Amino acid sequence: MNSKTPVLVLEKYSFWFKPPAGQPEGPPAFLDVSFEIEAGSFVLILGRSGSGKSTLALNLVGIYPDYFGGRNKGKVFFNDKQKGLINRRELVAAERFRRVNMLFQNPEDQIVTLTVEEEVGFALENYLVAPIEIHRRIDQALELVGLTGFRGRQMLQLSGGEKQRVALAAMLALEPSVLILDEPTSNLDPAGTADVLAVIDRIRKDLGLTVMMVEHEIDEVFDRVDCILLVEDQKVLGPFTPREFIEEHGLYVRDNMGLWIPQASEVALELLALGTNLGPIPLNGSELIAAIEKLIPDLPFLVTTKKKIEDETDLSSSPAIEVRDVCFSYDDHEVLKGVTFSARRNELLAIVGQNGSGKSTLASLFNGIQQPSSGIVLVDGITTTEYDFSQLAKRVSHIFQVPEKQFVCSTVYDEIAHGLRALGLTEAEVDEQTIEFLETVRLLDRRDASPYVLSHGQKRRLSVAAMVVGKPEVVVLDEPTFGQDYHQARNLMQLLRQLADDGAAVIFITHDMRLVAEYADRSVVLCNGEIVFDGLPYDLFSDQDVLEHARLKPPPVYEFSTSLSEEPVLTTPPLVQMIHEKING
Amino acid sequence: MARVELSFKKGSSLFHQMTPFAKLLFILSISFVAIFNTNIYVGVGLFFLCLFIVCFCTGVPLKQYWALGKIIIPFILILAVVFPFFYGGQATVGSDTIAIRTPFKDLTWAALGFGALLSLRFLSLAMVGLSFAFTTHPTDMVQNLSRRGWDYRLVHAPVLGLVLFPVFLELGREISITQRIRDLGQNTNWLKRKWIRIKHLAFAMLVLGLRNGQTQAMALDIRGYGAHKTRTFMREVPRHRVGEIFAWLFFALSVGYLIYEFNPDTMQWNIEH
Repeated sequence: MNSKTPVLVLEKYSFWFKPPAGQPEGPPAFLDVSFEIEAGSFVLILGRSGSGKSTLALNLVGIYPDYFGGRNKGKVFFNDKQKGLINRRELVAAERFRRVNMLFQNPEDQIVTLTVEEEVGFALENYLVAPIEIHRRIDQALELVGLTGFRGRQMLQLSGGEKQRVALAAMLALEPSVLILDEPTSNLDPAGTADVLAVIDRIRKDLGLTVMMVEHEIDEVFDRVDCILLVEDQKVLGPFTPREFIEEHGLYVRDNMGLWIPQASEVALELLALGTNLGPIPLNGSELIAAIEKLIPDLPFLVTTKKKIEDETDLSSSPAIEVRDVCFSYDDHEVLKGVTFSARRNELLAIVGQNGSGKSTLASLFNGIQQPSSGIVLVDGITTTEYDFSQLAKRVSHIFQVPEKQFVCSTVYDEIAHGLRALGLTEAEVDEQTIEFLETVRLLDRRDASPYVLSHGQKRRLSVAAMVVGKPEVVVLDEPTFGQDYHQARNLMQLLRQLADDGAAVIFITHDMRLVAEYADRSVVLCNGEIVFDGLPYDLFSDQDVLEHARLKPPPVYEFSTSLSEEPVLTTPPLVQMIHEKING
Repeated sequence: MARVELSFKKGSSLFHQMTPFAKLLFILSISFVAIFNTNIYVGVGLFFLCLFIVCFCTGVPLKQYWALGKIIIPFILILAVVFPFFYGGQATVGSDTIAIRTPFKDLTWAALGFGALLSLRFLSLAMVGLSFAFTTHPTDMVQNLSRRGWDYRLVHAPVLGLVLFPVFLELGREISITQRIRDLGQNTNWLKRKWIRIKHLAFAMLVLGLRNGQTQAMALDIRGYGAHKTRTFMREVPRHRVGEIFAWLFFALSVGYLIYEFNPDTMQWNIEH
């Protein structure tokens, strides 16, 4: 198959969701969508939160409408090795899945067996592949994803990144023509993300596979992809090359659609808005450095960013939580080993580290969900064991990664009101404050809806609002911006900033180093249950030993700004300002 | 975090080499004999047979049995110590002579024998059940039974159960924690609070569990599950002739014994009592 052969073609494709029983059909999710994907290309699917990226992916695989119902119109063609382009309708579902397959966001969702080899071989057995061939393909697929030697391992014993790679191997063993990945790195730490992306590069090179990826955080993938599809308002625009996309849409997609754009492009586009043209918009740090070097030959130039950061951080505020020499074990497995640190009021503290390093376990000790095996955790100077659980839970709000698990009421209104009633307010006061809070988190129009039917972004906002409505002294969040677009993430972090400014200690666990760089006042790094760093994010990203030990990666702006200035920066605005001032005197 | 692991241990023992079907046959035979037996001597014999299997036929270290088996020890003790007080002549396992005098009730040898038989019964069942779990790979069972004409989609269900069980356990645990954190059922009495929490747990588990199950079903579908009536199997299922003979022989013996047990002329249960 040559590289110009289309592998997937949509012609005037439209799709309508199945309406609830007794209700009329709603407007189409997609209307007259047409595009062609070339064989062997790497396609990035972008769109604002809730725009239908995953729905498009599920339509391409055929899960919609066959599996979940709905109605479609138009044509979808696949490339068949023997027959060339064939209409999807000519194939039964199982045969379609062999050609175009999909990897879900959460690897846990697709595990159907108990061991790695069974997981990879499962689909092959269903497709009646001969055992000898199954074994060959299992070995080949595991080698491709870098998991040779994992054949006999149990799925439950694997890390998140390893599970995702096994799921990828299971898809690869089927030898599909097109593989669709729905945010495959969203649950992974930076090292796990790098591993999965390296695997994708490798399979594209070795197998010539067409890969389509839905992704929010695009710094790592933007310059790797061949083209971009933009899902917006029932349409799918493109394919664009990454440069076409960024030059055509510029900051509009970030400011108006809430899409993340690569920080290198962001710097160039911000400079362009200020009147400084770097030429073609760079897609990565190297291109940005090359473009700036043409205008400022004497790189790097000097700045004093670090001093500013230290000056802005109030290190004297009182500790709301103190963790002293804490150890914690699950059965024989020691998760935390002698952890000591504190979280102060008025502070946004980021806890970072690899998957399985003990971050969530540590957070579960703050409000007494679990008690340490040894050592003590103090909240306001009193050990957690001395508190009544409900009393402690009111002081320390713990917000889980999956919002649905947090809901206890049947309507959005009651979710907020529940926390206020616990404060002993009158019904009139509860009503007034609930309405006020719903307005703040932009959910007033959904006040009577069930929390379970909200969009992911709305659920996240509701779960945070419901937990902070009682004005806790400590707020602990697990991956607060998981699955959020640029606007939603910023709004949420601003809300947390406000809580910290009002006197709370805000602790968030994250794998997103952009978030740490932009919002955290302090960062704590956990590695194999031990704290290996406690200090300013700037110092963290400067400490190569810690980064390597904990397998972390600084945000792109930090990496490329090391070549531009002697003191690198954590966010794009100061860099834009410095470059602009340097160029324009 | 919930930690439920695959209990299969690799090995080459007699039990490892028996087909899952033969093992199932053997275990069902033992189970039926253990449950319906009323003779203390047969009970003791069965117990030693199961012990022999555990020690010499499975190749699994005894500490592995102990790790799981110790969970049922309190239950076994309750059977042995408490149940004799409720003996009402259900089985003839000893004489009516008083064996022990207690402040509550004088216990006859028959009552003690009844408790002992109950304990032996459940010990035998536990040992033989664990022997099966430790030596049978779940997918071998799927393969073996589907080769015997069972629909593989049906027999794969227990494997899916093993995969999903820890997920649901974890989900339930997290929802329970949420209820405590958010003080669900605040300002109500203990009983009402429990009721509110159980209702919410059931609803949340249903909604989230269904969603999870739907995704899992989708994951099965896109991997060709059910695409064909049969499937191939990459694992070789062990097939040991001696094991098969042993299983069928024991099956025949147990059927014979059960016929003897249920024969009104020889039946030791005193139904009229």
